[in-house]
Amino acid sequence: MESTAANMAKKYPPHAALPTPLQKMILDTLEHQGQTQLRCMVPDHRALLENFKNEQGYQFLVDVTAIDHLGTDTPERFEIVYVLRRLGDQPHQFRLHAWLSENEPSLESVYDLWDSARWGERETHDMFGIVFEGNPDLRRFLMPEDYPAFPLLKDYPLTGKQERRQFPRVVPRGDQMVEEEPTDYPTSIGRGMHTPEYNEEVRRDSKPRQ
Amino acid sequence: MTPSPASEGRDTQVPSAKTLKKELEKGWRDHRAGTTSPAAMNLVDETGDGRLVMNFGPQHPATHGTLRSIFTLEGETISEADVEIGFLHTGFEKLGENMTYQQWVTVSDRMNYLSAINNNVGYSVAVEDLLGIDVPPRCASLRVIMSELSRIADHILCVGLQGMDLGAFSVMLWAFEKRELVYDIIEAVCGARLTTSWTRVGGIIRDVPEFFPDLVYSFLDEFPPLVEEIHMMLLNNKIFVDRVKEIGVVTEEQALSWGITGPIARASGLDIDVRRDSPYLGYDQYDFKVPVQSEGDSFSRYMQRMEEIEQSLEIIRQAMATLPGGPVVHDDFKTSLPAKDAVHNDMESLIHHFKLVMLGHGIQPKPGSSIYSATEAPCGELGYFIHSDGSDTAYRLRVRPPSLYNYAIFPRLVEGGMLSDAVAVLSSFHVIAGELDR
Repeated sequence: MESTAANMAKKYPPHAALPTPLQKMILDTLEHQGQTQLRCMVPDHRALLENFKNEQGYQFLVDVTAIDHLGTDTPERFEIVYVLRRLGDQPHQFRLHAWLSENEPSLESVYDLWDSARWGERETHDMFGIVFEGNPDLRRFLMPEDYPAFPLLKDYPLTGKQERRQFPRVVPRGDQMVEEEPTDYPTSIGRGMHTPEYNEEVRRDSKPRQ
Repeated sequence: MTPSPASEGRDTQVPSAKTLKKELEKGWRDHRAGTTSPAAMNLVDETGDGRLVMNFGPQHPATHGTLRSIFTLEGETISEADVEIGFLHTGFEKLGENMTYQQWVTVSDRMNYLSAINNNVGYSVAVEDLLGIDVPPRCASLRVIMSELSRIADHILCVGLQGMDLGAFSVMLWAFEKRELVYDIIEAVCGARLTTSWTRVGGIIRDVPEFFPDLVYSFLDEFPPLVEEIHMMLLNNKIFVDRVKEIGVVTEEQALSWGITGPIARASGLDIDVRRDSPYLGYDQYDFKVPVQSEGDSFSRYMQRMEEIEQSLEIIRQAMATLPGGPVVHDDFKTSLPAKDAVHNDMESLIHHFKLVMLGHGIQPKPGSSIYSATEAPCGELGYFIHSDGSDTAYRLRVRPPSLYNYAIFPRLVEGGMLSDAVAVLSSFHVIAGELDR
C-alpha cells in the first residue's frame, strides 16, 4: 500500500516550470516520503506564490503556519510554511518554506491571492508574533485581546507564573506588604503587541482602582 | 497581614445607584473609544443611530459550543458581523512539542470530540507517513470501518441539531437514539465513548472483540431506515425547508479561495475529497461515490451530509465483507508498541515497550524531515504538519483543523441577512469549538 504522502505528490515538479529569475530564488529542494518542499528567503516568497497561483494553477492554499528554529543552526530563526494544492486533472501538492529573519519578523501578506490566508496568517501572528504586512485583520485570534506574549515561540516558558509576572505582586518584606516591581516578560521577540508601552498599559489597567 | 491602604475607609463612602450607573456608562464609552472593532464591545448597546450591537454566544444554545459572534443589527437585519474565537484554546500544538509521538494521540481526540476516532486516525496516519511505515491490512480496514462509523455519528448529529435549531426537535431525538448504536460499537472497541484514544502510531490499541461483526451488522440493519425517516420529517416540513433554502450560499469560487473543505465545499460544487484524491488506509479499494451538490446553501449542506451517510454505510459494508485477519500492529517494534499480552509474558516485547515509552528513546524520525499529511474528517480536511528534529517529540506539530478554515467565511455569509438566518447558517456549518480553538 502506497502511503498518503507518496500518493499526494505525483511527479509534477512545480519549480521546474518557473521562469529563470524566479528559479534562482529557490534555495533548495527537499523530498521526503514523496512530498516536495521548496525553500526561499522572505521577500522572494511573494513573487513565487504569485507565479504558483496565477501561472501554475495552485488555486488552493491549504495552510499557513510557521516554525521557530530558536538556537538551531538554520539560516534564519523563522520558517513560514505554505501548503499549496492544485486541483483538477493534474493534482499536485507541495510546500513552500520561506526563511524569515528574527530581527525584522514581518513579511508581505498573500490574503489577496487566497482568502484562506486571512485566518491562517492571523493565527500565525497570534502564535508567533510575526507580522503579515497588508493583512487587514491581525487582531489576537486564539489568545485574549490583552495577552502580551506569543505562546508558540520556543522561548515561551513552560513553567512559572509566565505572563502573570507582568502584573505587580504584593509580597511580604519585613513586617510590611510591599508592591514588587513587575519583571519583564522573558521573550526575545519584542514587536507586535509586546511593546514596552503596551506592557505599561496592561500593568496600569491591572492595578486595583484607588 | 496588614490591610493595604487602598481598602481603608472604603466602606464609609457607599456610592449611590445613580453614580454607579453613570460610571458604568462612562466605562462603556471609554471602552468603545479605544477600539474600532465591535468585538471589543462586550455589552448589548444602543449606538444612538438605531443600530444595536448584539452578542450571539459564547453561551448560546444555538452555537453548540463556545463560539462568539458580534452582530450589528438594523432592525432584524445584520449589517455587520464579526466573530471571536479562542474560548476553548488549550494549547494542543504546544503540547505536541512537549509530548512524545505516542502520548499526543490522547490529545488528538479532544479536538473534534464528536468524531474523536477520525482525529486519532488522522494523527496516526501523519506520524506513519513521516516515518514511512504501513500498517497491516486488518488494522487499515478496522480504522476505515471505525472512521466511517464515526463520520456517520457526526453527520447525523449535525443534521439532528440543524433540525433542532429550526424547530424540528424530534429529528434530534431520533438522531441521538440511533447515534447511540455507533457509540455502543466504539465503547466495545476501545472502552470509551468520546475520548477514544484508539489508535497508536503503527496500529491500534488492541484487536476488536469477537462480537464486533455482530454489532456492526446489526447497526447496518437498524440504521438505514433512519435516513428515510429524517428525510420524511424534514423535507415535508415547510418551515425547515423555507428557512434553509437559499440561505448562506457559498459559491464554488468562494469555497476554493477560502480553503473550505468537507461537506460544505462539496455542497457548493467543489469536488474534493481526500479519501478519493489521495487515498490513505486503502480507501482506493472501496467502491464509493463522492456526492456533490451545486447550490451551496444550507439546504444542500443538509442533503450533502445525508448522501455522505449513505456512502459511508456502503464503505462499511464493503470493508466488513473483506475484513482481513492478521495482526493489528505494525511488526517493527522500534516504532510501534507491542501488544500488552506480549509485554507481560515476553522479555523482548517488554524491552521494546520500555524503549518506546522512555523519554529520550521512543520514535525518532529523521532529523529535519517534515510532512503535511491530510485525512478526511467529517468536517473536512484534517491536516497535520509535523517537523521533526530527530528527537522523540515533534519539533513543531501543526494541526490544520477543518472547522477553522470553514468558519472564516461565516461573518460574510450572514451579513445582509436576517438574524434568524444566522442560526440556520451556523447549524449547517457544524463548527466544533474544540478543534476550532485547539
